[in-house]
Amino acid sequence: MEALAKAAEWFIGLFQQGGSVFASLVVGIVPLLVVLMTFVNALIALIGPEKIEGVGKAAAKDGLLYYPVRYVVLPFLSVFFLTNPMAYTMGRFLPEKYKPAFYDAAVSYVPPPLGIFPHINPGEIFVWAGIANGVEQAGYNVAELAIRYLLIGLVVILMRGIVTERITAAMWKTKEAK
Amino acid sequence: MEKINSFLANMGRSVGKVVGSLYQAGRDSIDQVMTNVLPFMAFISLVIGIILATGIGDWIANTLSPLASSLTGLVVLSLVIALPVLSPLLGPGAVIASIIGTLLGTQFANGSIPAQWALPALFAINPQVGCDFIPVGLALGEAEPETVEVGVPAVLFSRFITGPISVVLAYFASIGMYS
Repeated sequence: MEALAKAAEWFIGLFQQGGSVFASLVVGIVPLLVVLMTFVNALIALIGPEKIEGVGKAAAKDGLLYYPVRYVVLPFLSVFFLTNPMAYTMGRFLPEKYKPAFYDAAVSYVPPPLGIFPHINPGEIFVWAGIANGVEQAGYNVAELAIRYLLIGLVVILMRGIVTERITAAMWKTKEAK
Repeated sequence: MEKINSFLANMGRSVGKVVGSLYQAGRDSIDQVMTNVLPFMAFISLVIGIILATGIGDWIANTLSPLASSLTGLVVLSLVIALPVLSPLLGPGAVIASIIGTLLGTQFANGSIPAQWALPALFAINPQVGCDFIPVGLALGEAEPETVEVGVPAVLFSRFITGPISVVLAYFASIGMYS
């Protein structure tokens, strides 16, 4: 009987731990998330997301100068205004050869702003919040981490866009040679 | 009188637009929290709860902590996750990144991993972001089928290179933080 009680206690214990994790997540994340998302959603609705289409057309141009437009400015605006997954529709303004690299840059910029703009992909906030919560519990200010994540993300997507564009071009050549 | 009337009508309309947008925004964010965020929190809590309560967490954490508190370790972690055969499997729903992130979070919380590793770790757990979604993402951009054929492997190979580079960039970007 005692063993049975022990087993039951252990079984419930598994979920008590989960429950306390859940409680800390709901209390710690949801209230801020709701209010912040409401603000940004309203802002986007008032500005009008279609305004960024001009940037899409500019990003289609060839030349060194347009790399940052195509792989930094356009992904940032697309992700901010259209959010995941509609951000990727902005690829329609680009020539075929740039589309994979643009997708790569845009999708790679979905997590980095999550600390400040969680409306971009609230369903996957744990990619950020898992580590950020831990850092916060250790007694640090996560705003600094959030802002550095957002900024270095821009450098990463520029680098990633250029690399993917080159790889796409090389693969296209070998495919055409066949 | 005419002027005042049209002024009032205009003002009413713009106030209505702002209030309407705010209300709709509130509805959207509550919707997203109910349909996307809370279910995911429930799932993460269950997995993390079991991992912590059974002690598997200690084992994983002991394996991950040394890995996550050195640049080489994080680069290796990102290389493994970005393997072109693994990354599309690890992508969906960001489940793997979330679980590894949350487990690492517990280690950051108790100080086993120093906080200055948080930024490179954020990149190391997520070089596979969107790798499961490439064909759909390209289709949303109205890409031709040939572009998809070339684009999918191009992105996957690129991640294997850019994943580790992003960890190194993040490492340099975190200099001076939390130290």
